[in-house]
Amino acid sequence: MGFLAPWFLAGAALLGLPLYLHLLQRHQTTPRSFSSLMFFEKRTQSSIKHRRLRYWALLSLRLALLLLLALAFANPFINRSAASMASDKLMLLVVDDSFSMRAGTRLADAKQAALSVLDSRTPSERAQVISLGSQLQVLTQATQDPGALRAAVESIAPGDTRASFGELGRAIRAMAESIPTPIELHLFSDLKKTAMPASFAEMALPPNVSLVLHPVAKDVVPNWTIESVDAPAQVWDPKKARVQAVIAGYHTPAAMRTVSLVVNGKSVATRTIAVPASGRVSVEFQGLDVPYGFSRCEVRIDSADALPADDTSLFAVQRADPGRVLFVHEPSDSRSPLYFHSALDAAAESAFVMDTIAAEQTENADPSRYAFVVVSDVLSLPAPFEQRLRKYVQGGGSVLVAAGTSAAHRPRVPVFDEKIEAPRYYASEGQRFLTVGASDTSYPFVEKSGQMAGVKFYFAVQVDPGNAQVISRLTDQTPLLLEKKEGEGRVLLLTSGLDNLTNDFPLHPAFVPFVEQSARYLAGIDNRSGSRVVDSFLDLRTAKEQSIGVEVIDPDGRRPLSLKEATTAQTYQLSRAGFYQLRLANGRQDLIGVNPDRRESDLDVIPDDVLALWRGNTSAPQQATTAIGQPQPESQTKPFSLWWYVMLLLLIAAVAESLVSSQYLGTQREGP
Amino acid sequence: MVQRFLDPAVLTSISSLELVAKTVVEGFVAGLHRSPNFGFSQEFAEYQAYTPGDDLRHIDWNVYARTERAYLKKYRGETNTLLTVLLDASNSMRYTSHAVTKMDYARYVAASLFYLTAVTQRDAAGLIVFDDELREYIRPSTRQGQLHRLLSGLEHAEPRARTDYAKPIHHFQDFLRRRGFVVIISDFYEQPDVIVRNIEPLRFHGNEVILFHVLDPQEIQPKLNAPSTLIDLETQETMEVTPDYARKEYREKMDGHIKALQDRAQGAGMDYYLMVTDRPLDDALREYLTKRQGRL
Repeated sequence: MGFLAPWFLAGAALLGLPLYLHLLQRHQTTPRSFSSLMFFEKRTQSSIKHRRLRYWALLSLRLALLLLLALAFANPFINRSAASMASDKLMLLVVDDSFSMRAGTRLADAKQAALSVLDSRTPSERAQVISLGSQLQVLTQATQDPGALRAAVESIAPGDTRASFGELGRAIRAMAESIPTPIELHLFSDLKKTAMPASFAEMALPPNVSLVLHPVAKDVVPNWTIESVDAPAQVWDPKKARVQAVIAGYHTPAAMRTVSLVVNGKSVATRTIAVPASGRVSVEFQGLDVPYGFSRCEVRIDSADALPADDTSLFAVQRADPGRVLFVHEPSDSRSPLYFHSALDAAAESAFVMDTIAAEQTENADPSRYAFVVVSDVLSLPAPFEQRLRKYVQGGGSVLVAAGTSAAHRPRVPVFDEKIEAPRYYASEGQRFLTVGASDTSYPFVEKSGQMAGVKFYFAVQVDPGNAQVISRLTDQTPLLLEKKEGEGRVLLLTSGLDNLTNDFPLHPAFVPFVEQSARYLAGIDNRSGSRVVDSFLDLRTAKEQSIGVEVIDPDGRRPLSLKEATTAQTYQLSRAGFYQLRLANGRQDLIGVNPDRRESDLDVIPDDVLALWRGNTSAPQQATTAIGQPQPESQTKPFSLWWYVMLLLLIAAVAESLVSSQYLGTQREGP
Repeated sequence: MVQRFLDPAVLTSISSLELVAKTVVEGFVAGLHRSPNFGFSQEFAEYQAYTPGDDLRHIDWNVYARTERAYLKKYRGETNTLLTVLLDASNSMRYTSHAVTKMDYARYVAASLFYLTAVTQRDAAGLIVFDDELREYIRPSTRQGQLHRLLSGLEHAEPRARTDYAKPIHHFQDFLRRRGFVVIISDFYEQPDVIVRNIEPLRFHGNEVILFHVLDPQEIQPKLNAPSTLIDLETQETMEVTPDYARKEYREKMDGHIKALQDRAQGAGMDYYLMVTDRPLDDALREYLTKRQGRL
C-alpha cells in the first residue's frame, strides 16, 4: 500500500484539534464563588458519566473523520498484480465500418481479427462491441457472453459514413469517466489519414484506456473516384442543361478513364479522358435529355480499382415545362417588358416563358394559367381582370407590382391595395437620386442582387406599408420593396418602375439576378440541389410547417421515420448512399441522390509515428497486437486506488458524527 | 408605597448610608402608626404630683393654669439604653446572588438600628467590626456626631479574612461594661456550639443578645443547573458539586444548621433572627424594637 500524495498525511496533525476540544476544554468550566463550602461535599453526578460515554463516541467519530479526510487527500493505493486486474478490465472492440472499409476485403479482415481477439479473451473478461463511422454505434453492452459478442461482430455491415477518430476519442473519454476499471480498446480499422480530426488532442485517450491497433490496410492502394458532380436539380430545356464532373485519382498513375452519364440506368453519354497521376480532371456533358418528372442520374467511371463503390456519383434531376409569366404593362411602356424579358432569358436554364400584354387588353386574361404575374406601372386595370388577379392571389398566386410614374396617379396601388401617399421625384427635388439604404437580406433576390447596391432611383412612390413587410428602403426611409401576404399568395411591390426612366436598375448588373431570384421566389421554385453527402442533414419542415406529416423513403425502399417522427422531426440525417424519395411538409415531392463523403476515397494511411503517439508509446503496433490475449507476467503490478472506498467511509463517518453531535447538543440544551 | 423603600435592592441605589438609614427608619415609623404595640421614648407616660425637690422644668404649666395644681409630665423614653452592634466583616459576607451583598444588607440593618437609636430615641450606640480579629471599635455614646462616626465605621467595614468568634469577642467583652443590647450581625458559618459558646459570655454581663443571621437566598436554596465548581470565598477552596446534592443534601444541612443555631441561641437566652437579603429591612427593626419594648 502506498500514497499518491503522501504529503497530505501531514493533515493528520489536525487530530489534535478534537483531542484538545474534547479532553482539555472539557474541564474548563467557569468556577463560581460561594460564601462557604461548609455544607458541600464533593460529588460526581451519574449523568456526567453517561454523557462522557457519548462524548467519547463523538470524539472517536471526529478523529475518524479527520483521519479519513487526510487519507482521501493522500490518495492511498495498493499494488495489484496485472493478472488480478485483468478480470476487472473492459475490452472494447471497435470495428470501423466506414465507406472506405468496402475496399477489398478490409471489413471482412477487420471482423475476422475482432473474432480472433474475442476467442483469445479469458471467459471472465467483459467485452463490448462498437462500430465506428461518423458516430459510434454500441452493438452490445459490456458482457461476458461470447455468443452475443460474436454475433455483434458478425452483424457489422459495410456502411457509407465517414470514419472519425475524433468522435472515437470523445466517446471513449466520456465512457472512461463512468467506468472506473481499465479499458482495453481494440481498434480494427484501415486507419485512414482522412479520419483524423483537425486537432490531434481530439483523438487523445484517457490514462485508463490502453489502445491496441489492428490495421487492416498495410499499403496505400490507388483509387480513382468522381469527386464532385455539378448538375441542375431541375431541367426545363434539356438542350441547355449541362453536367460537369470532376474525376480525381489518389495515388494513381496517369491513365485513360471512361466516364459515362447514366440516366435512369441507361448510359446517355460517354467520354474518355486522361486523368493525370494523382490528379484531377473535369469532364462536361452538354445536354441532359431526361423525361418529364424525376430521373435518377449518375456519373460513372470504369476505374477497376480497389474501391469500386466510389466509382459512381448519384444525382436526381426533375424535368418540367418552363413556367409562364404574364407581364402587364402600359401600351406606351415598351421598355419594361423588354428589360424584364431579357433578364429572364439571361438567367440560366430558361425556367420561364413570358407573355406580354397591355393593360387594356387584360379583359379576358386568366392569371391562373401563369406561375406569377407582373403588373408594371399601369395607369389602370380593367376591373374584371383586377378582380381575377385578387382571386388569383388569394388562391396562392403571386404578383409583382412595379409602381412607376403612371401608378402614381392612382390613389391606391393595384392588387397590393395600399394607399399611395405621395410620388417622390428625387431628380427634381435637388437630390437627383437616392440609393438603397437598408435591406432584409434573408430574401434571396435581395441577397443575390447585392442589395441593389449602386442602383440610382430617380423616382419612387411613397406607399403606406400598412400590413406589408418592408424588405428594402431608400436612404430617406421611403419603402422600396414590400411584400404583402394575401390569402395563400403574396404580392411583391417595387415602388419604382422596371424601365430605366425612374431608375437605372434595368441597366445595372444586379437586375438579372434580381429578376431571376424574384421569379423563382414568386413561382415557388427552391434553389435546391439534386445530390447530397452521407451524414448531412435534410430539412424536413420549416417553423411554420409543424405537425404536418412528411415521408422519407430510403434507398432500400423502407420508411425510416416512425409515425411520430414523421410529424415532429425537423431534420433527417442521410446515413446511406443511394436515392431518397421525399414528400416534404409543404407537399412537394422530391428525389435526391446521396453519395458518400469523397474524403473516404483517399485511402492514405496514418503514419506509424502518429499511431505510436496515439497509443501513448513508441512500440510498434505489431507488438501491441501480439500482446493481446497473452498472460501478463505475474511480477507486473498496477496501482489500484482506494480513494473511492476512503470517500465512502468518510461519508459514513460524517453522517454518524452529525447524528451523534446533534444528539449530544440536544442533551445539552435540555439540561439547563 | 413606603414598603418599596425598604426593599434592599432599592436601597442599593442610595449612596449615603445615613440617607439609607433615615429612609428605612422614617418609612418604618410611618408604617407603624396603625400599630399600638410600639412606642418611643418621647411618648407621654403619666402625670405625677409635684413634690418639692422635683425639677421645675418638668412641670406641665398648662395643667397648672387650668387646675392651679402642679403636675410633673413623665415620658417613657427617658430610660436610657445602650446598643452595641457586632458586625461580621469576613469574606463570606461578600457573597450575593442578586443586587445586595450580605455585607451591604448588614450595613443597612446596622445603620437603621443606629439611626433609630441615636436620632429617634437618643440612646447610646456603639459598633464593633470583626472578622478573625477585632478590626474597629466605636464605643457607645450619645455625644454629638456619634451617628456619623458609626456610619463612617460601617462604610469602612469592607469584608476580608475569615470569621473567628472566639478571639474578637474575648477582646470586646472588656469594653461592655454597661448593660444593654448586643446585636451580632453575621452569616454564622461556624458550628452552632462554637458560636454560642463564644457569644454566651456576653449574656452573662446582663446584656440582651440578638443574633441577626444574614443569609443570601442562594445560600438557603442554591440553584445549580449543571455540575459546577464552587470556590469558598474565605478559604479559596474549590469543589465540584452537583445539582442533586445542592437540591437535597445541602438544603437539609443548611436547615439543620439554622435550626441548631436557633435552638442553641434560645437555650442560651439569646434571641435569634434569620434575615434573608431579599426581604425588607423592617423585619430587623421590628425584631429589635420588640425586644427593646419588652425590656422597658
